[in-house]
Amino acid sequence: MREILLKVDKLKVEGNGKEILKGVNLQIKRGEIQALLGPNASGKSTLAQVILGNPKYKITSGKILFKGKEITKFSPEKRVKLGMALAWQSPPKIKGVKLSQILERISRREIEIEEAKSLFEREVNLDFSGGEKKISEILQTLSLNPKLVIFDEIDSGLDIKRLEKIAKTIKRELIKKNVSILLITHGGQILNYLKPDWTWVMVEGKIICKAKDYKKVLRTIKKYGYEKCKKCQFLAD
Amino acid sequence: MVMKSVKNANFWQIDHKVKNIFEVKGVTILPSPEAWQKFTWTRKFFGEKPKEGYFIWVKRKIDFPLATCITIASPKISQDLRNLLVIEKNIKAKANVICNAKEKFLCGKHLARGKLILKEGVFLEYNHIHKWGEKDFVSPDYEFTLEKGARLIYNYRNLFPPENLEFKTTIHSRENTSSNLNFIINSLNSKTKVKDTVFLEGKNSQTVVRLRLVGRKKSQIEAISQIFAEAPGKGHLDCQGLLVDKTAKISLIPQLVCQNKEAQITHEASIGKISEEELTYLRMRGLSEKEAIDLIVSGFLKL
Repeated sequence: MREILLKVDKLKVEGNGKEILKGVNLQIKRGEIQALLGPNASGKSTLAQVILGNPKYKITSGKILFKGKEITKFSPEKRVKLGMALAWQSPPKIKGVKLSQILERISRREIEIEEAKSLFEREVNLDFSGGEKKISEILQTLSLNPKLVIFDEIDSGLDIKRLEKIAKTIKRELIKKNVSILLITHGGQILNYLKPDWTWVMVEGKIICKAKDYKKVLRTIKKYGYEKCKKCQFLAD
Repeated sequence: MVMKSVKNANFWQIDHKVKNIFEVKGVTILPSPEAWQKFTWTRKFFGEKPKEGYFIWVKRKIDFPLATCITIASPKISQDLRNLLVIEKNIKAKANVICNAKEKFLCGKHLARGKLILKEGVFLEYNHIHKWGEKDFVSPDYEFTLEKGARLIYNYRNLFPPENLEFKTTIHSRENTSSNLNFIINSLNSKTKVKDTVFLEGKNSQTVVRLRLVGRKKSQIEAISQIFAEAPGKGHLDCQGLLVDKTAKISLIPQLVCQNKEAQITHEASIGKISEEELTYLRMRGLSEKEAIDLIVSGFLKL
C-alpha cells in the first residue's frame, strides 16, 4: 500500500475575517496525481496557499499532515524543506530580482527547460507573458526537487502547444520520478494530458465530490455546471 | 569592487596622516595644505586654508580610474577634510572614492568638504563608497560644478551606515551639461539626513536624480531632493524609500523649483514596506524570511 504523503483533515480557514475553507478533507498518496476542480472563488487557491503555509490565512480548526507529521504551524520554508512545492497561479513581480538569482538560491537539481532560458536574466514576473509566468513557476518548483507539487491553474491562458509541452515536462520530471501532484484547475484542460488518479470538486469552501473518472466529472460539470454538481451524489465513489 | 586594494590608491589617508600618494603622469596629487601653498589659484575653491584632505588636478587624459581612500583607524579621531578635484577640458575620467572606518566602534568624526570642478566637455564617473562603524559621525558636503558640456555620473552607496550621517550634495549645471546622480542609502540603528540639490543654471542642462532609501531597524532617514531650474533644462527626481523594519522611519521631500517657463522638471516619490506577497512567495521557494528580505531589498536597490 502506498504511503499517504499529504493529509488535510477537517480544515477550516479564514481570510480577512471571512470563512473560506469550511472543513476540507483531502489526501494524496505517494506518486498519485490528483485534480481539484471548482468554480472561481470556491477556495481552491486558498487551500493551496494554506497547505504551503501562507501566513495571510488563519487556520481556525483542523490540521495538515505531511508524511504523517503534523505541519499545520510550520513556516513555508520548513514545508519546502520537507518536500512540498507550489506553482502559483498569479506570482508576484519582484522588482530588480532576476529569475536566475532565485534559482541560484533555491535549486537542488538542474532542470532543462529550453523555453526558460530566455527568462533567466529578466526580472522575475515583470513583463512576463502569461505563458512565461507558467514556465518560470514550473522551473522553480521542479528545481526544488519536491515530493509533492501543487500546480495552481497551470493550464489557464495557455495555448494547446504550450500546454502539451508543459505536460511533457511534468511527466518527464515528476511523474516518472514518482512525485505526487495536485492539479488545481478551473477548466480542466491539463487533465487530458496528465490523467489524474482521483478528481475532487470543491464548491464554496467544501469538497463535495471525489471521483475516479475525471472525464465523467468534466462532462457533468460541462453539461450541468457546478450548481448542479453540488447536488450530484452519483459521481462520488 | 571599485578598487582592488587601498595600497594602490592615488591618495590614501589614515586618521590625519597621509599614508600614500601615488602620482601619475598628467595628474597632480597633493595634500590640500600643500596645494594651498603651491597653487594660489586653488584658494578661491578652498576658501580657508585647509588642515587636511586631498587636491587632485587632472591635466591629461588618463586610462585608469583615480582612487582615493580616507580611513579612520584610531578611536575618537576627528577628521576635517577639504578636498578639491579639478579636471581640465575634454578629459574623460573615473574616480573611485572610499571613506571608511577600520573598526566598528571607533567613535570617529569625518567631516569632508569637497569641490569638484569639471571643466568644459569633461566626462566624470564618480563612485563614492562609505563603510562606517556603528558609532561614527559622518558629514560630507560635496559641490560639483559642471562647466559647459560636462557630464557627470555620480554613484553613492553606503554599505555600512554610521550612527549619524549628514550628507549634502550640490550640483551647478552650466550650459549643455548632464548629470546622473544615484544615491543608495542604507540606514540601520542610525540617523541619516540627506540633501541633494541640482541647479540647472545653463540652457539645455539635464539631470536625473535617483534616490533609494532603505530603513532598517531603529533607523531614521530624512531626505530632501531638489531641482532648481533657472534655465530651459530638464530634470527628474526619482525617490523611493523602503521600510524594512517597523522601528524605521523615512521622511522624503522631493522639491521642484522652476524659474524658467521652458524648463521641464518632474518627480516621482514613494515610500513603502516590503510586500507580504513577495516575501511569502520567496519563502515558498525555501528562503528564510531574512534571506527573502535581503533579496527583495537588493532588487529594490538596483538602479
